[in-house]
Amino acid sequence: MKAFDRELKKGSAELLILSLVEDRPRHGYEISKQIEARSNGALHFHVASLYPMLYRLESRGWIQGRWVEKAGQRRRRYYRLTGEGRKVLAAQRVGWRTFAEAIRRITGIEYA
Amino acid sequence: MPDWREAIRERLIRLSLSGAREGEVIEELAQHLEDRYSELRARGISEQEARRLALEELEQGKTLEEQLRTVRIGTRREPAALGSTGRIRMFGTLGHDLKIALRTMGNKPGFSLMVIGMLAAGIAGNAAIFSIFDGLFLRPLPFAEPDRLVDLDETAPKWNLKFVGVSNPDFYGWRQGNRTFDAMAFFDDEGYDLSDRGGAQRIRGVRVTHDMLDVLRLQPALGRNFLPEEDRPGGDKVVMLGYELWQRQFQSDRSVLGHVLKLNGVAYTVVGVLPREAVFPPDRELWTPLAADPQNGGSYYLSGVGRLKRGVSLDQARADLLRVHRAMAQSGKPSVNDITSPTLMPLRDRYLGDFREVTHMLLGGVAIVLLIACVNIAGLMLVRAAARAREIAIRTAIGASRGAIVRQLLTESLVLAAAGGIAGVLIGQLSLSGILKLMPDGMPGWLSFQLDSRFAIFCTAITAGAAVLFGLAPAVQAAGVDPREWLQDGTRSSFSRGRRGALSALIVCEVGLALMLLASAGLLLEAFHKVLHVDPGFRPENVLTYTVDLPNARYAKAPQQAGFYDRLLERLRALPGVKSAAAVSILPLDGHAGYFFEVEGGRKFGQKDQNPVVLCLMATPGYFETMGVTLIAGRPFNEHDGRPASRAAIVNEAFAKYFWPNMDALGKRLRFQGPGNDWIPVTGIAHDVRHYGLDQEVRPSVWVPYNAMPQPAMSIALRTATDPHSLTGAVREVQRQIDPELAMFNIRTMTERLDRSLWARRAYSWLLGAFAAIAILLATAGVYGVTSYAVSQRSREIGIRMALGARPGQVMSGVLAGGMALVSAGVALGLAGAFLTTRWLESLLFGVSTHDPLTYGAAIAAVAAAGLMANWIPAQRASRVDPMKILRFE
Repeated sequence: MKAFDRELKKGSAELLILSLVEDRPRHGYEISKQIEARSNGALHFHVASLYPMLYRLESRGWIQGRWVEKAGQRRRRYYRLTGEGRKVLAAQRVGWRTFAEAIRRITGIEYA
Repeated sequence: MPDWREAIRERLIRLSLSGAREGEVIEELAQHLEDRYSELRARGISEQEARRLALEELEQGKTLEEQLRTVRIGTRREPAALGSTGRIRMFGTLGHDLKIALRTMGNKPGFSLMVIGMLAAGIAGNAAIFSIFDGLFLRPLPFAEPDRLVDLDETAPKWNLKFVGVSNPDFYGWRQGNRTFDAMAFFDDEGYDLSDRGGAQRIRGVRVTHDMLDVLRLQPALGRNFLPEEDRPGGDKVVMLGYELWQRQFQSDRSVLGHVLKLNGVAYTVVGVLPREAVFPPDRELWTPLAADPQNGGSYYLSGVGRLKRGVSLDQARADLLRVHRAMAQSGKPSVNDITSPTLMPLRDRYLGDFREVTHMLLGGVAIVLLIACVNIAGLMLVRAAARAREIAIRTAIGASRGAIVRQLLTESLVLAAAGGIAGVLIGQLSLSGILKLMPDGMPGWLSFQLDSRFAIFCTAITAGAAVLFGLAPAVQAAGVDPREWLQDGTRSSFSRGRRGALSALIVCEVGLALMLLASAGLLLEAFHKVLHVDPGFRPENVLTYTVDLPNARYAKAPQQAGFYDRLLERLRALPGVKSAAAVSILPLDGHAGYFFEVEGGRKFGQKDQNPVVLCLMATPGYFETMGVTLIAGRPFNEHDGRPASRAAIVNEAFAKYFWPNMDALGKRLRFQGPGNDWIPVTGIAHDVRHYGLDQEVRPSVWVPYNAMPQPAMSIALRTATDPHSLTGAVREVQRQIDPELAMFNIRTMTERLDRSLWARRAYSWLLGAFAAIAILLATAGVYGVTSYAVSQRSREIGIRMALGARPGQVMSGVLAGGMALVSAGVALGLAGAFLTTRWLESLLFGVSTHDPLTYGAAIAAVAAAGLMANWIPAQRASRVDPMKILRFE
């Protein structure tokens, strides 16, 4: 059961990250803040798990990181969604929706 | 703001990401932690707490390292961002590799220190010995085109003399008749008492022909060179001061020209100052004209130096001078003969020839030590690479490229080599100054033993060579590691048959090399031991000696000279603490003066026979007692000996045996060669004195009473009841009272003279001994390291065998037998090597055969004992393997 939990979380985390960089490139800290903010603090990704995940997604070619320098700031690494990542995101969205729908039906949990 | 980078780096270290990639990951994560920290601080959280919370980010859940390990972090090039160029990255990578290398070394300080120590030992020896070799043989003489300078001398095999010196008529004839020399100059060393208000000092001078500066291609620093007319008998008394003497005695005063000096009581006018480069003839402080009489052909005493014409070879010059010399001998001049003939050699060889063999031998010794060190390090690195194979496999699995791993290992090797090289150069510098302290004072002044760029290049080459040698082994091995094999079964040994074979070969080699060196050193030390126990023929303890040279100006006549020495010895004998005092023309170990003798009723010499030159010494009464030379027959000299009414001569055993073979020499008569000389009865036979050195041959010698042939220069010997040095002051005072303008020089005890005569043999024997000791230590460490590793690799097998009933003793003897088989192979190899190489030592040995069985036996025993010791500990460890533990682990 624990393993399932972990896979679930991992799968969902990947989806979260891909969604967050869909509209515009973001850097790692921004991503972690966004996850925390949008989940009302329910989800917090630590450095130790966030970045390995970013690198994994990057190595699969779904996102691409790039150093950007802005005037007066230290350079940061921004991640953007690649074409392939966009396809994966679309597929995962469908998959997730189906999965959530199935859970809802079984458990009877209704969303407001 | 805390520095996050270090904390992050610590957690990434074992991943061995490529340098650039690791840098980026660190930068990115540090940025994140910094943002987090700033945010926490902005919320009003204390610095400490904010720091703790930020760092927690790295710890949550699975560790960062573990997480990253599952990700293949590519080293894909991304578009270069502003402000970062390829070059900077490259240096970043290098810096990063260095950091990793240093950290890895720090993790295994024992291993690193061992490698550095081994390298340092090899390099230090090489650096020190090379500097000496360089100074002696490689550094050119400080003159223009030094290769064209040759030493000129005469040789006389018939007189049993390799060098006799050049006679006046010969040098004038050669100079005039040759076609192959631009110029030649001749010289004769001469000591001068330079008297100065209230005291006298001894100056080492030399009488030179006027063309000496031309041969050396030098110009006077001040004033002018000697004129040809000053270089003739009866020419003006002029002097050129050496640069150092000018500085020391005249404070570099330029108005010294025209100044008049009193040398041995005679007035000399200063006409010039020699340039600083005028270091030849060696170790001389002033020059005066030779002014040799071409008609005076009696003695061979000059040294010569010539400058070959451009393009002329030494052989051509030799043939040319022989032609000139033969023509002179055939012209019927009585003073020129064909017993002596010209002999030529490169100038440097003449003055340093003796050291060539020794330095070559020592270079060979250090080369072996360095080779053993490198072999050892290669072995250690092979072992370590095998131990690290798992780590390397993991790195490969998480994306480190093979190139990156090889680069990392090579960087590690280079860092170790650099550290070893630096330590080696430093230790080498120390040992060099140590060795230089052992050198005698009389080395030619042109020699300098310093670090120079060539030396640095040499050391760097050794270091780099060693680095590549032992860096290559693990790098090649690393490239052959298959990560899958490793990750599937981490406990399995990667020690393939081939690698074990390579290690065994290394062990055999280093044991062999160590044995070779040990055998050579053993032979030399045995020879040194033999030399030390040679009976010198005199008793050196408690004898103080020094030399006096009476100036011609005040002591021209024989009675004046004899009177001075009589008075001096009488006063010295009266000093408290002096048991006896005497004078002799040449002290043992101090030089040679040869004459020819003929004898009555003994060996006769035909025209073609070899007539050995005889060492002839003048001695005062009391000399044999003072020097402790035993008479085996007859009586010592008394005060009456030497007068026409009481002629006397004492010969040594060698003389008696050579001239009167199988006869009693006592009472027989001898005379200086030539009709008209008086016959002298042999009044005593003395025990042979090793006059030329303990390891040199004994020549026939004759002592004649001082009164028969008074000499201006004599050496005084005092046998004392107490420490001889304590009497120096009193002796000086006695001599000052008799003649305040006389210098005392070469003040030494006979023990010191004996020590100095052995310096070279002592130095090189012990140096090679030290190298052999280092070699055997290194070899032992190498054998130990490799056997221990093999045992640790085989622990599983050993455990199983013990579980199946093998007894600990069996296991132990099995390991020992394996190890000792390698040692034996090494011994066999080394023995063969030693038999081949020790013949080069032949000329350095004394009383020991190059195949001395005792020395070889001892060397083999030492190597075998060291090998046994090195194998014993790991073998014992093997026998203590607990089979249960091993099997449980399985």
